[in-house]
Amino acid sequence: MALAIETNGLTRRFGSLLAVDGLDLRVEAGTFYGFLGPNGAGKSTTIKMLTGLLAPTAGAMHILGEPISDRRKALEVKRRVGVVPEDLALFDNLTAREYLTFVGRMYGLPLPTVRERCEELLAIMDLDHEDKKLTLEYSHGMKKKLTLAAALIPNPDLLFLDEPFEGVDAVSSRVLRDTLKRCVQRGATVFLTSHVLEIVERLCTAVGIIANGKLVHQSTMDDIRRSGSSLEDRFLEAVGSDQVERQKLSWLEG
Amino acid sequence: MDTSQLRTILWLRWHLTRNQWYRGGWLNKAASFFVAGAGIVIGFGGAVAGLLVGALVLTKARPLVLLGIWDVLVGMFLFFWMAGIVSDIQRSETIDIGRVLHLPVSLRQVFFINYIASHLTLVAILFLPGMLGFAAGLALGRGGLMVLLVPLAIGFIFMITAWTYCLRGWLVTLMINPRRRRVVIAVVTFSFILLSQLPNLLGHTFGRGRDSQPSAKETSPSTEQTPSPDTTARRPASLPRAWQIANIAVPLLWVGYGAMSLAQGNVWPALWITAGVFLMGGLGLRRAYRSTIRFYEGQAKEGGRPRTEDKGRIAAQSRPIRTSLLEKALPGVPDEAAAMALAYFRSLMRAPEVKMALATNFLMLLFFGAMFLLRRSSGFEDVIKPFIATGAISLTFFGLIQLMFNLFGYDRGGFRAIVLLPTPRRHILLGKNLALLPIVACIAGAVQLLVTFAARLPILVVLATALQLPAAFLLLSTAGNLVSVVVPYRVAPGSMKPTKVPTLTALLMFVTHLLFPAAMVPIFLPPGLGLLASRLGWAPAGAVNLALSALLLVLFALCYRVCLPGLGALLQQREQAILQVVTHEVE
Repeated sequence: MALAIETNGLTRRFGSLLAVDGLDLRVEAGTFYGFLGPNGAGKSTTIKMLTGLLAPTAGAMHILGEPISDRRKALEVKRRVGVVPEDLALFDNLTAREYLTFVGRMYGLPLPTVRERCEELLAIMDLDHEDKKLTLEYSHGMKKKLTLAAALIPNPDLLFLDEPFEGVDAVSSRVLRDTLKRCVQRGATVFLTSHVLEIVERLCTAVGIIANGKLVHQSTMDDIRRSGSSLEDRFLEAVGSDQVERQKLSWLEG
Repeated sequence: MDTSQLRTILWLRWHLTRNQWYRGGWLNKAASFFVAGAGIVIGFGGAVAGLLVGALVLTKARPLVLLGIWDVLVGMFLFFWMAGIVSDIQRSETIDIGRVLHLPVSLRQVFFINYIASHLTLVAILFLPGMLGFAAGLALGRGGLMVLLVPLAIGFIFMITAWTYCLRGWLVTLMINPRRRRVVIAVVTFSFILLSQLPNLLGHTFGRGRDSQPSAKETSPSTEQTPSPDTTARRPASLPRAWQIANIAVPLLWVGYGAMSLAQGNVWPALWITAGVFLMGGLGLRRAYRSTIRFYEGQAKEGGRPRTEDKGRIAAQSRPIRTSLLEKALPGVPDEAAAMALAYFRSLMRAPEVKMALATNFLMLLFFGAMFLLRRSSGFEDVIKPFIATGAISLTFFGLIQLMFNLFGYDRGGFRAIVLLPTPRRHILLGKNLALLPIVACIAGAVQLLVTFAARLPILVVLATALQLPAAFLLLSTAGNLVSVVVPYRVAPGSMKPTKVPTLTALLMFVTHLLFPAAMVPIFLPPGLGLLASRLGWAPAGAVNLALSALLLVLFALCYRVCLPGLGALLQQREQAILQVVTHEVE
């Protein structure tokens, strides 16, 4: 099967800190992929490199079969990709509708399509009644929903979602989950990070676990289920939490 | 709060400041240490100098002289103090109360620490020791009642700082709403700029009146008389009299009045003033404290009419879908560039800081332009007129340099969206440039209209200028694209203020501004060569000016077209570095 994401020795340093250490990632097209890891493991750094927000220190990346280090190819790839970055990407002084129109046009969509999708996305994200509000007045959850809408508007073949459910209310979260499932059903690939293992367990068909910048586990959810363990067990085992010596904190016991 | 907590909070404050200095790189660190060191030395030097001047030089000075000196000192202090407020308006309190209230400290204790810490500014370090030293010096030199000047000066400082603190608290309350926050910042900045230019404008206005008087008198020999001794004696007394009234009526000038009264041996005004400034300071502080309590209890008035969600929802449902500005196409412009242009234009026009900055530039151009042009009642010589018109274009662009040479700084987080877009980067640059075109056209158009009528420009000069304007726009857009990509800097939301730029970037920004006149040299070539051609008898100046302006426009249009793909490629190459700069928020 074709690979939607492929990295070879992907590395990123921040001074002396090795944030991502020779990552070899393979994500098949049409997969709902959960990218997990403890805080500071390198998840967001990886997504930033894969989406072109951050340059890698070393290594190669192929997105949808194209090398994105090639600048001309990079723009072609971006046309087929939607992203919800860790730090949201919004213009403060535009309304939600204006922002979506802007993104739709920049992706080269015809105006009637932009309008139609804008209406649907705003309604589905419950942002259609906030017509006068500028995005700078939005709460974090509303900003997140708008960024999600912007990622969906070009109907991409590949979606990168960094903590997409964080700060999103339960109703929108349900709608979003269904929407993402539909995307995968039509053949798109979803690559998401989340700290909520239950969501990943319920949605994803494959998972990768990163710890200290290294990919320590990669398998399908079916494999995990067949082995009789839960995702949480596998996660804790992979990140080595059982090796962490617990401090006694005896003073807490009085 | 015990001394250990106080020490911890001071330690925290110091570490926050130090980390801020360190983050800007070694050059920034060195510059910050130098400025802080110089500030302390100057402050200490000011105290000693004030003491010496008061004790040794002004022992016999007339009361009016003391009043004048104090008024000047206070005026300078207030000017820089206000400038400090404007630049610090966006900063939260020294120690954000919300971040420490879960600790075992009371709101009142944190409030007072913050108030005390609000004195630790460069302006206070530079001015307050000098003012207090001067008051102490006068007390030493003149002795007796003058000793009362020291508590008066302290009370005055207390009054100013307490009310400033109150004002800041009030502004913070107003700025709870992020949209209003930007309006507040922009209005305060704009008011300060206008206020600081007021003496200049008044000087020009009254200066003009005085200049014109002798010319009127020249026509009437009967008025050519030397002023009588009476008039001469009365004239210096009339100004101080008015000034004295201002000193009584305006609390900000009370120190000078107190010093004058004490020098005259009149103790009661000084005592009343001392009591008054302490009372007013106390009231200011009390009000600030109450505002702080209201703010943290959530009782602060946000203002504006509450809009219920249902109302908005119903309105949204019943509203027909209109074609918004962002859906429009621009003839002859690629669709992506048009979308970028319209989004950026709308963004800029909704940013109060940009509107205020543009309005300030425009008003300044109008004020000073009108003064310059209208002063010359006899009119300008024909040879100068083309240069005046071209000079006006140049000045217009000078006011827009911050926008044209920093295309991504105002995007902040929005630049992330640009990086993620599949759009060719040349279209992004083209869109950004096009967004500025209507702004340039409006300001330059109004200025040119004024110049055309005021200087009575010949039609050929007007036409030449109409060609030079787009030529200059294309030239500066090309240069601005390059500078924006190579030296980007983040602009704080709600202000035109760069956010703690590294020293090297600040230097480059300074050099860019410095080199601006050199960049504008090409548009002065057509009028210059026109003049040369007419002097040599080759061709009339107006025709040459017009022809060369047209040539210049074609040349710069070609230059823009040729450079744009390269600059787009450079943008794509550097976009991750730019993203780092424009989204990096420094506390």
